[in-house]
Amino acid sequence: MSLEKQWQHINEQEDEDLSALMNNPQLKKLTSHQPLQKIKNNLLINMAWGIGIAVCYVLILFFFPYWQVRLCIGVVLLFTLWAISTAYTQYKSIQPTVSSQNSLLAEMKRHHASMILWMKTQERVALFIYPFSTAGGFMLGGAIGSGRSVDYFMSKPVVQIALVISIAILVPLAYWFAKWLFNKSFGKHLKTLGENIQELSSDEV
Amino acid sequence: MSERDFLAAVKNNQGIIYKLVGLYAADTEEKKDLYQEVLLQAWKSWPSFRGDAKFSTWLYRICLNTILTQQRKQKKINYQERLDDISPTIESTAILKEDSLRLQQAIRRLAETDRAIISSHLDGYNNGEIAEMMGIGLNHVAVKLHRIKQQITTILK
Repeated sequence: MSLEKQWQHINEQEDEDLSALMNNPQLKKLTSHQPLQKIKNNLLINMAWGIGIAVCYVLILFFFPYWQVRLCIGVVLLFTLWAISTAYTQYKSIQPTVSSQNSLLAEMKRHHASMILWMKTQERVALFIYPFSTAGGFMLGGAIGSGRSVDYFMSKPVVQIALVISIAILVPLAYWFAKWLFNKSFGKHLKTLGENIQELSSDEV
Repeated sequence: MSERDFLAAVKNNQGIIYKLVGLYAADTEEKKDLYQEVLLQAWKSWPSFRGDAKFSTWLYRICLNTILTQQRKQKKINYQERLDDISPTIESTAILKEDSLRLQQAIRRLAETDRAIISSHLDGYNNGEIAEMMGIGLNHVAVKLHRIKQQITTILK
């Protein structure tokens, strides 16, 4: 019997789960689990958090009269606003609905590229924001904890060394954590997508 | 077209969803998730269906594009349709059913993109249509099909 005939026979079979879904679909209530939809949801959460955090930074700028803290928090605030605007641009550009116009290869590449872009953004945020937020948090915490000015608190060499060590440890840690989190969430999927793209693209004759 | 018309059109072509999802779902849970995702993506893409292609071809593309971009479990497929679920009354039907299942099992053992290529070939799409669906060259399709058929023959032996 031909492979085609064997294959066509599968068409004639029914599946209870699929039939149940067809008979009671409630299309509007279905939620997508597409990775790009998840990323889009994450971007929305990031933006909400970003706005909340930016408001806190503005309050700190107003209520803590230390120029060193203000400088660091000011820089972090600028980066936070940049991160929010980047997240918004990405949020608008990500199209989570699967396209019927694109070929399979084009669609896989589109998904792959969107995910990589999101990962790079997360890593950049970790690299740019954390050194300043660590320094700002360290000085602010130290000044409040010691009950002295930041100038006085930071005048001790041991504190300066502690600040450098904190930045040296926390920044790579935050960077690594962002990378780890991404890999945990999408690493395997990204790898499979990459392999499938490679399989279709390679061996072109 | 209303939701009801859309569902009627999908229902008439549900064999496509059943077959393609069956080639990729790792277990019954994932199979249900993929059914749902394909249906949802088809519904969302529905406004872009211009009618210049057949509905079945449009659904086929949506189905493949959804399944292969969906985050799936990274484990080997561990479920299969059971023959004793069906209790065929005619012996020839039983043989056909068994052969179909063997073919499905064989295709599941192929690389993910090869499964997409061979299924569209077995569903009657010509090399040009497959090339367009996959986004690869015509010669590449021919070479791949040749290799895939050899692989299936080896598996089925």
